[in-house]
Amino acid sequence: MSTAIKDFESAIAELEQLVKQLEDGDLPLDKSLQLFERGVELSRYCHEQLGAAQKRIEVLTERGELKDGAALLSTDDSTRS
Amino acid sequence: MAKLQGLPFGFDDDPPADAPPPPPEPPLSVAALTARLKSLVESGFSRVEVEGQVSGHRPHASGHLYFSLKDDRSQIRAVMFRTDARRLTFKLEDGQHVVARGRVSVYEVRGEYQLICDRLEPHGQGALQLAFDQLKRRLAAEGLFESVRKRPLPTLPRKIGVVTSQSGAALQDILRVLIARHPSAHIVIRDARVQGEGAAADLTRAIRAITDVAGVDVVIIGRGGGSAEDLWAFNDEGLARAIAASPVPVISAVGHEVDFTIADFVADLRAATPSNAAELVVERADTFRHRIDRAVERLTSAMRRVIDGRHQRVLRTMTRLRSYPTRVVLQQRDCQEFVLRMRHAQLDRVARVGQRFAHLRRRLEARDVRRVTADWRLRLARLDGRLRQTGQTRVQTAEAQSRELAARLHALSPLAVLGRGYAVCWNDARTGIIRSASSVNLGDAVRVTVARGELRCQVTERTDER
Repeated sequence: MSTAIKDFESAIAELEQLVKQLEDGDLPLDKSLQLFERGVELSRYCHEQLGAAQKRIEVLTERGELKDGAALLSTDDSTRS
Repeated sequence: MAKLQGLPFGFDDDPPADAPPPPPEPPLSVAALTARLKSLVESGFSRVEVEGQVSGHRPHASGHLYFSLKDDRSQIRAVMFRTDARRLTFKLEDGQHVVARGRVSVYEVRGEYQLICDRLEPHGQGALQLAFDQLKRRLAAEGLFESVRKRPLPTLPRKIGVVTSQSGAALQDILRVLIARHPSAHIVIRDARVQGEGAAADLTRAIRAITDVAGVDVVIIGRGGGSAEDLWAFNDEGLARAIAASPVPVISAVGHEVDFTIADFVADLRAATPSNAAELVVERADTFRHRIDRAVERLTSAMRRVIDGRHQRVLRTMTRLRSYPTRVVLQQRDCQEFVLRMRHAQLDRVARVGQRFAHLRRRLEARDVRRVTADWRLRLARLDGRLRQTGQTRVQTAEAQSRELAARLHALSPLAVLGRGYAVCWNDARTGIIRSASSVNLGDAVRVTVARGELRCQVTERTDER
């Protein structure tokens, strides 16, 4: 469908709003189908968003550089705090 | 009340009482007297501790603190020089009940004595506690703890900033929860000292740096449990202001559930522990996931309802369509019935006419037929005479007329109706016309008048109309 999806906040909000409309409205069939298609599109987008962020651990150094921090996940249990 | 430490009063320079009166001395200069008092006071009160209330406090541009200590009976001027004042953890305010440590000195220029403090402690509570209360009150007055300032966590946290000691247990707690429950989480860690000298400044720098990283949409700042002094860096004003200024929501997670720091008050959300902070972030992602699932579920069931509704309508319409032929049949039956009733009505009328005819006939028969015929005969004879006079043509005309009249009469006769093939059915007694099959019984005899003649019939079968 035409309308672009801004972000997942607006996507989920639109999805919920549309579902409500579909639930209470006595809409014509083609309008219902249109809403349903949009709903499917939005939910697909939301699901994509959930999986979009990759599992990653980075460390921000004193000099403002980002370095891989996977090593920090080590079992080393030294406690400085 | 002044509590003396060091030496008690002593006038070592006093001459023994039994000594002979000294020769008169020249009067002392003010400076000399002051100098003697100064040395006396300074040696006698080189180290004292005084408890009293702060009053008349005015900070000086030089950084020295000038104030008085007083109780309900007396007061003493006091000063704390810059180098000592800098180490003060709390802010000196009038009315504070303090314990001052220092020495008493005489300011010769003014001839005044004063207490030179090197340490000030709030009386009854620790300096740290007082400093904490003071900062808390101040920041609260600025509105930094207002709930309207608290921002909600992002709907779906993407890049999660963590500011803590890289080698601390808190980091491991946070990572463990995030990795286990939010597998797609992207975590950015900024190492910072969390206790000791410079920790507050380090944390402040770290929070500024991490909120600058593109995409970081929530920050956890914290450390594991420790003593009040261990957690002290999180009560720093600079850090509090950096947290308040963060462009993204900050979750504080300092120590254990019971520990409250200024950072906790100013943060958008306070977590009881570091792992709890991670859980709060994860819950947002869970909530998001749940919201989508729920919305999709509702979407599909709503659509199913819409389609089911339409399907029902189609089915209903189809049922009605299918029932249409039945209706046609029904209507056809109605039609037939109507026709039948029409026929009956016609028959009734025919019967009624027949009755009248019979009646008339009976009346006719009742008359004196012979007299009538005699009349007719007479008239006929006369007519005959006249006919003969009028000739053959008129006879022919009359004949034609009479034929026509007969035909017209015939047309009017109900018997003509019978001539068209209808029959009239009477009861055996001929007292009534049978209009309903139900008015006769099987075996009854009926009379049927047809165009020519009459039949006496026996009913052998009967079909009742509904």
